[in-house]
Amino acid sequence: MGQLYQAISEVEENLSRLLNEVKSLRQYIEYLEEENVKLKRQLCAVSEADTARVQKNAARIQKEAHVNLEKLYSEGFHVCHIYFGEPMEGSCLFCNAFLRKD
Amino acid sequence: MKILCKKEDLITGVNTVQRAVSSKNTHPILQGIRLRTEDSNLWFEATDLEIGIRCKVPVNILEEGEVVLPARLFSEITRKLPDTEIKIESVDNNINIFYDNSDFAINGYDPEEYPEIAETSSTDEIEIPADLFKNMIRQTIFACALEETRPVFTGILLEIEQENISLVSTDTHRLACSNALIAGNDKEFRGIIPSKTMQEISRLLNDDGILNIKCNNSKVTFNFDTVQILTRLIEGQFPSYKQIVPQSCNTKLHVNSRKLMDTVERASLLSKDNYLKTNTVRFNIENSQININQYSELGKISEQIDVDQDGEDVAISFNAKYILDILKVVETENIIMETSGSFSPCIFRPENNDDYLCLVLPLRN
Repeated sequence: MGQLYQAISEVEENLSRLLNEVKSLRQYIEYLEEENVKLKRQLCAVSEADTARVQKNAARIQKEAHVNLEKLYSEGFHVCHIYFGEPMEGSCLFCNAFLRKD
Repeated sequence: MKILCKKEDLITGVNTVQRAVSSKNTHPILQGIRLRTEDSNLWFEATDLEIGIRCKVPVNILEEGEVVLPARLFSEITRKLPDTEIKIESVDNNINIFYDNSDFAINGYDPEEYPEIAETSSTDEIEIPADLFKNMIRQTIFACALEETRPVFTGILLEIEQENISLVSTDTHRLACSNALIAGNDKEFRGIIPSKTMQEISRLLNDDGILNIKCNNSKVTFNFDTVQILTRLIEGQFPSYKQIVPQSCNTKLHVNSRKLMDTVERASLLSKDNYLKTNTVRFNIENSQININQYSELGKISEQIDVDQDGEDVAISFNAKYILDILKVVETENIIMETSGSFSPCIFRPENNDDYLCLVLPLRN
């Protein structure tokens, strides 16, 4: 019987040790998750100045492109996806809608 | 083949199928009309490989058979035959037409070489009142492109989605769209039908009755009365048209259709011969009036039409033909015009009818 009690005590100790290891592992995972989120934020972070610069640049390019397309259309060329670049006779509903949408 | 018939039977058959006869000389046999007997009927068939028309006429069949005859000659002789009983008898590929105590022989083609006009293999059948479809064709066919540079614009888009059916056509300067409901339909179809086919359907369709449409991915068959029209579909993608229709406007007018048509017709008499050669008509819309003041070396016109105006004043130029094409198919007393400026597309639609609209781009002069 003594041997049996001893064996049970050993099992109890082992289980307790395992439980502690699981607890410490959980804490470590939580730490790693926080670290991961923090790193992702750092990776994506762009300064407001940079954002404004990119947006301004995009708007300028878009405006220039629109002006160029309007110029092309007024000079008598299609700007719609159907006939793009081909000489236009009269006007085109699809070019008009494309420029209007822009 | 040996049959007894009347002159009217032959004229009916020939008139029905004749427009499908090929006008090109590439395949001589396609310049022929096939006559074939089947179940107490004489079938007339013609095709140019894009459109095929078949029509049956009940006649007295003494001996079964088939022949292919040159369309022009056969058509001419049927019109010139006397009003008497006519016997047609084939010998090999040729026929003899007997009338009174006379006979007329026509040399035909080998019927074995004539292409088979096969009916569309499809279980999708859609039925629509004939008069409704005929009117939808009339409202859209004028906006099809005539030049072949973009084949998709030379046809009419047929869209069937559940109970909604639409016909849409555009030549990129204007767009016509006619919608209707077909109660109980659960089939779907989208394809571009050549305008020639639509023209033939419109020509042959009687106002009463039902039009049966059988369709698959490459062919469509239209069945009505004793006629079958088979057509290939135009390949290619019809551009998304819904996005080009403006959703708002700055100026909305209610105009008397008849008055507008008469005025534009009168104004176009002068503009047809102006130095621009564009048949332009310019509307100055202000103070609930459309003012048309035009002159050319031929003369001068000054007219005013009272309208119900809602929104800004605007001056806008159109191709007079485009306006007249719309006004010819609009049956309501008043027409609604919606525009957002001199260079924006103008929507024309009948008053109290949301099923039809036509979009026209102004001229940029």
